[in-house]
Amino acid sequence: MKQTFIVSLIIIGLGAIFSLFMTGMWLAIVLPSTMMIAMQIPGRRAFGGGFIGVAFLWLVLILIKDVPNHHILSSRMAGLLGLPNSAMFILVNVLLGGLIGGLSGWSGASLNKAFRK
Amino acid sequence: MRKVIAILPLVFTSLLVYFLTKPMGSIPALGKLLDPVVGCWASAESVNKDYNNKLQLDGLKDGVTVSFDDRLVPHIKAGNDYDLYYTQGYLHAYFRLWQMDLQTRAAGGRVSEILGDKALKFDRTQRRKGMVYGAEQSLKAMEADPRSKQMLDAYTAGINAYINTLSFKTYPLEYKLAGFEPEPWTNLKSALLLKYMADDLTGYTEDIALTVLRDMLSPEEFAALYPERLHGVNPVIPHDSVKQTASLTAPAIPADSIAWAHLTATDFEVEEEGKGSNNWVLGGSRTKSGKPILCNDPHLGLNLPSLWYEVQMTAPGINVYGVSLPGSPGVIIGFNDNISWGFTNNYRDVKDFYAIQPTSATTYKFAGKEQPYINRVEKISIKGKPDYYDTVKYTVHGPVMYEETFHGPGGLKKPIAVTWMAHRPSNEVLALYMLNRSGNYNEYVAAIHNFLCPAQNMIYADRHGDIALWGQGQFINKWRGQGRYVMNGTDSATLWGQNIPVAENPHAHNPAQGYIASANQTVTDTTYPYWYNGYFYEFRSWRINDVLRNTRNATVEDMFALQNDVYSVLASNVLPVMLTHITPNEITDKERNYLNMLGSWDYRLMAESKAATVFQVWWTNFYASLWAKRFGKIPDQLKPSPERTMQLLKAESQYLGNIKDAVVASLRNSIDSLEKLKKADRLEWYKAKNTSVKHLTKLAPFSYSDLKIGGWGNTVNAAKSDHGPSWRMVVQMGDAIEAYGVYPGGQSGNVGSKYYAAFLDKWVKGEYYKLSFYTADAKPAATYTWSINPKNK
Repeated sequence: MKQTFIVSLIIIGLGAIFSLFMTGMWLAIVLPSTMMIAMQIPGRRAFGGGFIGVAFLWLVLILIKDVPNHHILSSRMAGLLGLPNSAMFILVNVLLGGLIGGLSGWSGASLNKAFRK
Repeated sequence: MRKVIAILPLVFTSLLVYFLTKPMGSIPALGKLLDPVVGCWASAESVNKDYNNKLQLDGLKDGVTVSFDDRLVPHIKAGNDYDLYYTQGYLHAYFRLWQMDLQTRAAGGRVSEILGDKALKFDRTQRRKGMVYGAEQSLKAMEADPRSKQMLDAYTAGINAYINTLSFKTYPLEYKLAGFEPEPWTNLKSALLLKYMADDLTGYTEDIALTVLRDMLSPEEFAALYPERLHGVNPVIPHDSVKQTASLTAPAIPADSIAWAHLTATDFEVEEEGKGSNNWVLGGSRTKSGKPILCNDPHLGLNLPSLWYEVQMTAPGINVYGVSLPGSPGVIIGFNDNISWGFTNNYRDVKDFYAIQPTSATTYKFAGKEQPYINRVEKISIKGKPDYYDTVKYTVHGPVMYEETFHGPGGLKKPIAVTWMAHRPSNEVLALYMLNRSGNYNEYVAAIHNFLCPAQNMIYADRHGDIALWGQGQFINKWRGQGRYVMNGTDSATLWGQNIPVAENPHAHNPAQGYIASANQTVTDTTYPYWYNGYFYEFRSWRINDVLRNTRNATVEDMFALQNDVYSVLASNVLPVMLTHITPNEITDKERNYLNMLGSWDYRLMAESKAATVFQVWWTNFYASLWAKRFGKIPDQLKPSPERTMQLLKAESQYLGNIKDAVVASLRNSIDSLEKLKKADRLEWYKAKNTSVKHLTKLAPFSYSDLKIGGWGNTVNAAKSDHGPSWRMVVQMGDAIEAYGVYPGGQSGNVGSKYYAAFLDKWVKGEYYKLSFYTADAKPAATYTWSINPKNK
């Protein structure tokens, strides 16, 4: 559990720095799997760590834009996706990031296991 | 096996990423769109965004300062013309790139590249009516004059300087939603945008419909229902103006058998005609200040991002303020240190049709000979499909718009070619260049004489006290009736003849009545020596003239009130007649309840008026009932005009049939609609008509609807459902110029910006901003400043 937490914290920290020159999508794909391979983290925790890490990273990145924007954009985007309000839109957006991050973490862990003797 | 299982999560991840980065149908690539770094979130602009900026731009000659006021209106101060237009281009692109890109692609028939083959018919229509051809012709004229060439070159360079800074992250959101990319700007695109306006304003035509109607009705009936000129109008050019003389004699009228074509289309496709505009000017004798006041509100599509972008442009020899069109350099409507001007659409017919008689696949008959078509192959790229090639045949008359392979209205297969003033070279950019710099009446006249299409009623006032209006455009010396119907394309007698010298266009300069007003009405009285037809509207003109005729000591506030006036001349004339045909004991209680609402109504289409809704619904049904028998399925727009119908009704004309029956039946028919509105709590006029300002994509979350505004197309405040006053401006030409304006939008085209629709509330309420016009030597009170310098200097 502690491990999962540490992993997600590192993802968030590195992600925040890398976001200056990488897209959020690439961060979500590359960071968790690299982390899991590097830290030799097993499957389920790898998914959890990747999920929580990226979801939280995306939430931070989104809030940095959304709060000073007074939710103008997120409310409109929520409308486009048929969602009731900007909070729901952010939630969907964050869960999507989590899903990518989780799968990426799991992939890293599986590769680890497959190639470890 | 372990390795195979280990691959599984990798496969899942790859599949997810694949689907997230690929657009599916009209759904954009969600992964890219929702990316928190480069996706839609990049468009979320802080409400406290610091717009201050220092820029180094390639190609600029000297330093430029842009001072933004609190409404984000830029006040550009440049050292030379090139830098001035370069900066305007940069600003237009910075705030409005997607809109100008989309509109020029639409003008040139390139929407299929973005939307796929569902836009193919639209694109073919644009190509076949010669939009690109016309823009190419005009571009030649624009690039032949060094002033307009420099203006366009600088403007294009400024736009491209901005486009070159962009990456996916900084694209306007709409590009991410629709999955396309900005492309380099060209001078041709600016020419296309001006043709887009020309099409919007002179593209409307009734020639084909009138051809069929003329053959359907008896000559007397046709003349009574579709008079060439309506009587009882207040023409744009006041009766007391100096009478125009003609240097050209009218061409001989060819025999009917030579002149006209006959069509058999029975079903019409008609576009909703919603464009109109008002402008008027009061001379000092009618204002409190003793100085002229000029007012203008062009009615155009109510869209976001707005059609207009406010700007002040200052450089040696020019200090102008007004609204510009993103995509075109210069200020379109506005004022400078000395003069002010405004436009309404002139509506003289400058688009005519010819029936072509093919003699083979490659030739047609003209002047007794076989003539070869000149083919222009239009390549239309379609998203996800192979390119489409459309061969457009050009004749002596112009492009064959409709034929077997591209049907006209009602499945019309007969080859029809179009002759259109917008196909001819003209240099509206030069007109704007000169107009923006004009200091007096003569300079204004010299400037606007370069403005050939779309023809406009160009109103004028200056600080010397002069007021004027020119019905300016390039017109043809036509024989009586020429071009009102589809003409026979085989005879040279039907060809367009000489240009009328622009100096002989209708105009008024300081008329004795002390004011001039145009609202798309008939341009001249019968003393004007040249024949013309057009699509004129009279209601707003009647109202404006009624008000101004009695106006003394006018203030700018009085002008605000008139621009927001919702008095219905139609209602005040027809409702009393309609009510006389109602017998109280023959109507139901429900009908009586609604009629009671009309009892104390003052004929004003106020936002919250329920009586206004009752009248409008009843009138619509009544109008349809009146003409139902005679016209059957023909759409309302092609029936005798409401103006003519009103006159016939007041005269109890025999052509209307039994008026009482129509009144009673239409009231009965209205109850259902009214009850439905009532149940839905939409009986108030603004809810019933639903004035909306829609994003160009029509996406509801980017749009505003149910705006609490009164009026309709036939009232001065012409707020229809999707058209209306796109810029309201009032300028008092005193020693210091006092100007007010508002448009239904905001300076930023970004849906994630607080400036996106910042002016909308004030526009709805009929309020105005006082415009900050700085003299050339004043230092603007800037909220934000851009200091722009040339790169490598």
